Amino acid sequence: MPAPESALLEQMFHRMAVSRAIERLMLRHTREERFSGWWHPGEGQEAAPIGATAALRHDDYVWYQGRGCAWAIGKGMDPLPILGDLLGKMNGATRGKGGGVPHWADYSLGIMGEGATLGSVYPLAAGSALASKIRKDGRVSIADFGDGTASRGTFHETMMHAVAWKLPLIYFCENNGLLVGTRTEQVSASADIANLAKGYGIPGVVVDGQDAIAVYEATSEAAARARAGEGPTLIEAKVTRKHGHYAGDPQHYRDPDYLKDYRDPVDILAARLSGNAAARIIEQADAEVAAAYEAAKAAPEADVSVIERDLYHVA
Amino acid sequence: MSHEVMGYNAAMGLGLVEEMRRNDSIFIMGQGVVTGGWFGMEKGLVAEFGTDRVLDCGIAEAFEAGLAAGAAIAGMKPVINMGFGDFALIAGDEIYHKLAKWRYMHGLDVPMTAVIIFPIGAMGGAGPEHSSCTEVLGMHFPGLKVVVPSTAADAKGLMKAALREPNPVLFHSVQGLGWTRSDVPLDPDFVVPIGKAATRRAGQDLTILTYGSMVPRALEAAERLAGEGIDAEIVDLRTLVPLDWDHALESVTRTHRAMVVHEAFRTAGPGAEIAAQIQERAFFDLEAPVLRLGAKDFPLCQIAELEQAAIPSVDAIAAEARRLAAI
Ligand SMILES: Cc1ncc(C[n+]2csc(CCOP(=O)(O)OP(=O)(O)O)c2C)c(N)n1
Ligand SMILES: [Mg+2]
Repeated sequence: MPAPESALLEQMFHRMAVSRAIERLMLRHTREERFSGWWHPGEGQEAAPIGATAALRHDDYVWYQGRGCAWAIGKGMDPLPILGDLLGKMNGATRGKGGGVPHWADYSLGIMGEGATLGSVYPLAAGSALASKIRKDGRVSIADFGDGTASRGTFHETMMHAVAWKLPLIYFCENNGLLVGTRTEQVSASADIANLAKGYGIPGVVVDGQDAIAVYEATSEAAARARAGEGPTLIEAKVTRKHGHYAGDPQHYRDPDYLKDYRDPVDILAARLSGNAAARIIEQADAEVAAAYEAAKAAPEADVSVIERDLYHVA
Repeated sequence: MSHEVMGYNAAMGLGLVEEMRRNDSIFIMGQGVVTGGWFGMEKGLVAEFGTDRVLDCGIAEAFEAGLAAGAAIAGMKPVINMGFGDFALIAGDEIYHKLAKWRYMHGLDVPMTAVIIFPIGAMGGAGPEHSSCTEVLGMHFPGLKVVVPSTAADAKGLMKAALREPNPVLFHSVQGLGWTRSDVPLDPDFVVPIGKAATRRAGQDLTILTYGSMVPRALEAAERLAGEGIDAEIVDLRTLVPLDWDHALESVTRTHRAMVVHEAFRTAGPGAEIAAQIQERAFFDLEAPVLRLGAKDFPLCQIAELEQAAIPSVDAIAAEARRLAAI
């Protein structure tokens, strides 16, 4: 697979920098200001969603798990709808449904949303993948999940059919080695989730999840395979969860020096850019996020009209 | 337009076929549908629509319902035959969270069509895990529409309505009525609107609110009661969400006495909600408390005779109606 050309590289870095700026802001915001719900910080893991989404087409379907915000940013969502939701404002993506467990969706961008009962995304993504197969629209669907969520029965139920039907589906695991404080090895048949692919007779690929380019390449290959009618691929990105499970998690279960070998995905991708592009893009991303934060803060609070909205659609 | 006498399951299948011809976004998936379905509903489908739109799947109910949600979100109109209503519990997350709440949680006011077929109720010894009446779950969790046809015509007409409905529908087909036959309109534009009850027998003395398998039993009980001078009105609710309160209350405020009859368990069954609301909304028009008849609160036995003894019989309905009339 060819490496991304420079325009795409800059777009990837820009989206990663925006995600990172939101991560930093949310850590401060949840500590210092009123926050409703739980925020699951995604700092350290941004290369996986940014690399994966860069390999997708605009109209490919993404079903994500709710850590951080880089899947939505990677697929093209602006920071404002994301921050609007996180702050519980009417100008969020959900127009007031809000909260720390993200439900950002924009079907026109292929951002299909999040199911907070983890493991929901496997059959949902198979549903959009089957739709693509029936309509022959060439789209790929991606189901993003954590290592802990590889245990869900829906993982198996869906994979059985996706392989039999050669669905254009990618299982994308962000393996950060932890289910809250439980280590993967304590609860998994295999330390490498990708290993499970063997039983299904499909490619299982382990990739350095701190390196967005490596993730981009693996995902490009899986997407090409899916579009060619060859069926699913299981990608496992080994990532580092830099902070707690949720913002404020004291992490008593972790080694105090767990970050001693930490490799930051922003630094790794920045090194691939030429000249002062990285610094320029970071500055720009910080400014965009700061402006979006102000716009979100200034927006009206979610009001009670939200409660009775969006339950049934009237034709 | 002409009519034809046909079976309940076959009529449901005809409704599906007609809609599949009109709209190529509709596909059906389930266990055994390619070979015609366990109960004959899907006969001939694969020959006409091919295996792209008629799909067999394995024993994977959570997958089936979740796939329906994902495909519907992506703009298709999936129909899933879940085989038995009992399996709603296996696919609970996918049905009551994903299908019911996805748009709500994401703040999206967009159409989403999906039909989940749940065959419910006693069918002659299928046992306690293949006979459950799970329709009350769809009443409890907001976001779904819930129908339970009692005639072949309604099975067809409600299936067609469900496939034109921009919201997910739990379509409860009644196992005990699957092979009953009645008159079905062949007009391809015949649709039974979701949310509309039907009066099956007009009466003056009391109202029996019922649906599904209990409709024919209530009608039979009413004939007996007529011979004794009790004139019962039988309202077939047909849709439980949204429930046709106008229709129900119009009847009850006229007869001043009401009872609810269903095959589902009595405790916290659909009748609990219906009786409570009638009492709240029509208290001063009532001359008696609203009574409820439902299955005994025990798992259903596998012996067909014991199964029948646990759910309301014609005798039991008539007896309860006499009691209501005498209060
Ligand atoms: C079905 C379900 N079970 C449990 C939870 C509670 N929960 C939320 S996040 C989480 C950890 C998930 O671990 P993993 O899949 O590895 O993702 P990570 O948090 O590491 O990103 C748990 C247990 C949930 N949301 N849904
Ligand atoms: Mg994890």
